[in-house]
Amino acid sequence: MLKNMSPKEKTEAKWGLLFVAPTMIGLIVLNFYPIFNTIYQSFCKTGDFGKGNTFVGLANYSKVLAAPETWQSLWNTIKYALIEVPFGIVIALILAVLLNKKVAGRSVYRTIFFLPMVCAPAAVAMVWKWLYNTQFGLLNNVFHTKVAWISDPNIAWISIGVIGVWSIIGYNMVLFIGGLQEIPGDYYEAASIDGANGFRQFFSITVPLLSPTTFFIVQTRIIGALTVFDLMFMVMDKTNVALKKVQSIVYLFYQYAFTNGNKGYGATLVVVLLVFIMIVTFILQQVEKRVVYHN
Amino acid sequence: MKKRVLMGVLAAGMMMALPMTAQAYDIDELQVNIWDNNQLAGLQQIADEWSEESGVKVTINVVDWDNYWTLLEAGASGGQMPDVFWMHSNTAQMYMENDLIYPLDDFIAEDDAIDLANYYDGIVELYKSDGVQYALPKDHDTIALLYNKAIFDKYGVEYPTDDWSWDDVLAAATAITEAGKDDGVYGYALNTSNNQDGWYNIVYDYGGQIITEDHKGTTIGSDEGKAGMEMVRKILEVAAPQTTVAETGTDSLFQSGLVGMITQGSWMINSFYKAENSADYAWALIPYGDANGNGACDEGERWSCYNGLGWAASHQVADPAAAYSLISYFCAEKGQKEQAELGVTMAGMKGVSEEFANAFPGMDVSAFTKAETDAQLYFRPYTRNTTVWEDALQQAGAFLDPWQNPSDPDLMASACDAAQMIIEDAIANE
Repeated sequence: MLKNMSPKEKTEAKWGLLFVAPTMIGLIVLNFYPIFNTIYQSFCKTGDFGKGNTFVGLANYSKVLAAPETWQSLWNTIKYALIEVPFGIVIALILAVLLNKKVAGRSVYRTIFFLPMVCAPAAVAMVWKWLYNTQFGLLNNVFHTKVAWISDPNIAWISIGVIGVWSIIGYNMVLFIGGLQEIPGDYYEAASIDGANGFRQFFSITVPLLSPTTFFIVQTRIIGALTVFDLMFMVMDKTNVALKKVQSIVYLFYQYAFTNGNKGYGATLVVVLLVFIMIVTFILQQVEKRVVYHN
Repeated sequence: MKKRVLMGVLAAGMMMALPMTAQAYDIDELQVNIWDNNQLAGLQQIADEWSEESGVKVTINVVDWDNYWTLLEAGASGGQMPDVFWMHSNTAQMYMENDLIYPLDDFIAEDDAIDLANYYDGIVELYKSDGVQYALPKDHDTIALLYNKAIFDKYGVEYPTDDWSWDDVLAAATAITEAGKDDGVYGYALNTSNNQDGWYNIVYDYGGQIITEDHKGTTIGSDEGKAGMEMVRKILEVAAPQTTVAETGTDSLFQSGLVGMITQGSWMINSFYKAENSADYAWALIPYGDANGNGACDEGERWSCYNGLGWAASHQVADPAAAYSLISYFCAEKGQKEQAELGVTMAGMKGVSEEFANAFPGMDVSAFTKAETDAQLYFRPYTRNTTVWEDALQQAGAFLDPWQNPSDPDLMASACDAAQMIIEDAIANE
């Protein structure tokens, strides 16, 4: 191949490689090496401090797949995604449409809705933890209720999901506004002349033309939601009775890999999650071909 | 990392600006990690005195308990450990066996200020592996009963005394919880995570052992262990519900005036001493378990858990002599006395803690020093990887279940059996 290249092409190729090198090296060192190392560790009984790993084949996998807590945590994670993704998207879309119009104080509202995105997730979780507190929480005091928002296993997963939605709508909204501004105004003008009302315009023009953006958000948010960790970790004490019904699979990974020092078992859990996310992504890609509207 | 670079630049700048004074060591700064913010001010004061002698700056970083170990382990695996740090019984063996801590024997042998015979045996033993001493005892702690006088006054209940048994605690807790129903006040609060400062002691009072002396087993599932946990269960019946203690925390509940009594360790005095209503708070000797039912405290019925942290240095510390010099300064008699006087903690050295009782003007903390003579001390239960079973005991499948539902004695008994299994399995896998 090199032989067929002219000297000029060779120089270009060299410079090209040089320019992508920083990204490539970053990816290899920070992403690819850890991925393969994690997969390797999942086949090992790991020693302390990354020393003395012994190969045990599929022993970790049979333990992980046989443990009910793995499946419970995976289900907890899916339940979280089922709240965060649809609500985070629908609310963000409505806000984006409203804030894309010329309303007074538009940028102020946009800033307010985007603010949660700027806050450290740990700080967000700490504030919500006290809002939800049964004894002293603002929620129970305002509504004069005595609901155990984060300790009742039937409610706790929803409470955590609400924090997720609250944190993400600003980010989704900004992406939607970007998508909305790509849609030419002529379509709406023509629709008005034809007598279509606002709702009709929204569903016949906005929704289909926005579908590439929507799909991008759906896909990235599903992956984001499936890897959730910080909310459960910060909001729920480890002696919280609802924890087992709320903890995500990454939480379980943290517990095994870092608290208990069992890296091999932890690595296996994340490989299982990785496979699960790959399957979900594959299905989503198939759906995209049918649903998403391309110009 | 950025911070380090910045520090390095600053330090270099300072060195150029100042004429070099008598510098005995190759380094300008030691990074020290601890997990208890309450001790920061006192330790920094002692460290600064050492800095004046040695010319080496000491920066103490506080990392909270849970993240401390995550960070230290990640640092140990990646070669980025702090220079000097605290060691704890939960993990010491693992770090020593992997040679991640600098062996101190050679330094100790040449150091006139340190004689290991002067320290609490359990702590010295803990930080020894294959005959090599890896850390010096920093402190030791005991447990006492903390009560809120305002609550006892309000509901007309007699204050706890040093002669109380757990049955007396139960009676008082019952009286307060019943009288305080409308105010949402409970007589007692105890979470599954209050082990060293809480239910472990009751198990020992009744003759059970969380971890046997050879660190190879447990008797939590024995009749004695179950008798202890049955006492715990009775107290839980009138204590704040588990959901409440898990969400708000026993200490916060106590400081909010919603709980009459808790047990706490000497390392926590500061946070109650500095609290808003500290004038209402008082300490009593840790209660005993009247296992034989004769109404008096007999030999083996009053136990207080003790633990001792160790000052350790990283195996890759740039200047081991400087790190040891700091450790020795903390652990020699002068530093130990100062630590007690400043009310940081009681000393790891025997017989120099009396001053600790006077370190908190206006609050009588003699219950902690009294425990050393009036109670039997047992070392905090540990095995090679303590966290595995310690965490499991606090969660569903073990003691979280009876904690949720304390009115069922069978549930507590079966949780004891489950705990026995959990500990035995964990030890088998170590």
